[in-house]
Amino acid sequence: MPDKLDKIIESKKLLLPILTEIQDRDGYISEDNVRQLSKKTKIPLSEIYGVATFYSFLTTKPEGRNIIHICNSPSCYVNGSLNIIEFIEKELGIKSGQTTEDKLFTLHIGSCIGCCDKAPAMLLNGEVHDKLTEKKIKGIIKKCRS
Amino acid sequence: MQILEKSGLEAWKKAKEMKPEKVISLLNKKGLAGRGGACFPAGTKWEFALNSESDKKYVICNADEGEPGTFKDKYIIINNPETLVEGILIACNTIGAKHAYIYLRREYRYLEKNLTKIIKKIIKKADTDIQIDIVLGAGAYICGEETAIIRSIEGRRGQPYYKPPFPAVEGLFGKPTIINNVETLANVPLAIIKDDWNPNLRLFSLSGNLKNPGIYEMPLGTSLKELIALGKPEKSIKAIYFGCAGGCIPFNQEWKIDPEFINSTGCMLGSCTMIAVDESQSIVDIVTIIAKFFEYESCGKCTPCREGSMRILSLLEKISLGYANMDDIKLLEELCCVIRDSSLCGLGQSSTMHILTALKNFREEFEEKCRLR
Repeated sequence: MPDKLDKIIESKKLLLPILTEIQDRDGYISEDNVRQLSKKTKIPLSEIYGVATFYSFLTTKPEGRNIIHICNSPSCYVNGSLNIIEFIEKELGIKSGQTTEDKLFTLHIGSCIGCCDKAPAMLLNGEVHDKLTEKKIKGIIKKCRS
Repeated sequence: MQILEKSGLEAWKKAKEMKPEKVISLLNKKGLAGRGGACFPAGTKWEFALNSESDKKYVICNADEGEPGTFKDKYIIINNPETLVEGILIACNTIGAKHAYIYLRREYRYLEKNLTKIIKKIIKKADTDIQIDIVLGAGAYICGEETAIIRSIEGRRGQPYYKPPFPAVEGLFGKPTIINNVETLANVPLAIIKDDWNPNLRLFSLSGNLKNPGIYEMPLGTSLKELIALGKPEKSIKAIYFGCAGGCIPFNQEWKIDPEFINSTGCMLGSCTMIAVDESQSIVDIVTIIAKFFEYESCGKCTPCREGSMRILSLLEKISLGYANMDDIKLLEELCCVIRDSSLCGLGQSSTMHILTALKNFREEFEEKCRLR
């Protein structure tokens, strides 16, 4: 593992891209990784932890295999995003910030994702799903479960 | 659309033959204003960086388009990335920078692959040793603020800091840096090469209760009626929101979309975001949703914004649930003014504009909620 971290540090150089790469690889940024990274880069542990917990797309805890970021900004809200969010919460049995017991889904209700012309919209593992309806949500969840 | 026109590196070649001062005066003569929201003349910003002596300088392209309701930069990155990259190269060459960063918001990660390809292609074609790197954000509205973007690229928490020193003097890694919005940089080559380039055309992001939302290019000075008609509303429109930070106005059809006029209504046109809200919506609910957004996105550095946004949200929830009285409205208004006047950066300062303008224009909706008590 340590040699892999060296490689990431060398190719990404800046802390934010390094942390993003670690999260891409492991699904989250572990305490062990933060400690190792601090040792290798001489950046204080507290600072790395501060950065890893500042941004909403970085996480220091393991998340589900499918990560949903659903928008609840005004453009989506006036197009019924709240109903869609409630439907997802009911279907998955979780609230924002939680992960399902089978570790299949993590739900985040968040800020605008820039798909306001196709509201309501969400990101599923970084991919856009828009003009959401309950039927569409059902299909997406079913596909992830199969 | 003007923004989709190409220069095909003609502007790059022309600018390279010119003295930096000449490029800057040309941009100022053409009237290229910043499109991130502040309308600061792009040429003047470049001039500050040009006059700052340093061994290294940087250009940052701000593609952290986070203002809710805004998707114009995404439109440019998808539809005319070549001209954007050319604009970045011209900016670098003019101020004497060898390195540029495109700070791309994390929500747009799916654009990274193609943009990387275009950067490589244009740099090769332009035959330059300027380096352009994409730095992916990680989800933080505040990182659209120029000092926060600097901190974020440096690998720190994306929290703003007091100016001066201004970035053009002391910016990224302590070196002179210019930070321009995507739309500004994409317009640079067009302003340089096209004789008929129109400085007044803007990309409007239309969304909300509309049948045809989307990006529309229209000149400043267009009437609200004409612009909103493009979006084809199905019900009668009650209010227009200029994103979350820009405040709201009643849908007065005859009003013209002009930054100075919009300012006079207590709002900010900003990056030309317009969210149309129809009569079926409750302004109190929308205000509460927006307050939640600011509470979530406050970076936590300064007290008025960090603590105030929480208090604002709890007051609004109290009002929207019908538990408040008229004194709560007064308290809300006072708190909004304090946050506006004492926050460190633009986020905090503008975070209550939507409430103050809603109280000005739709006060009866708040009072009605309190009367239930």
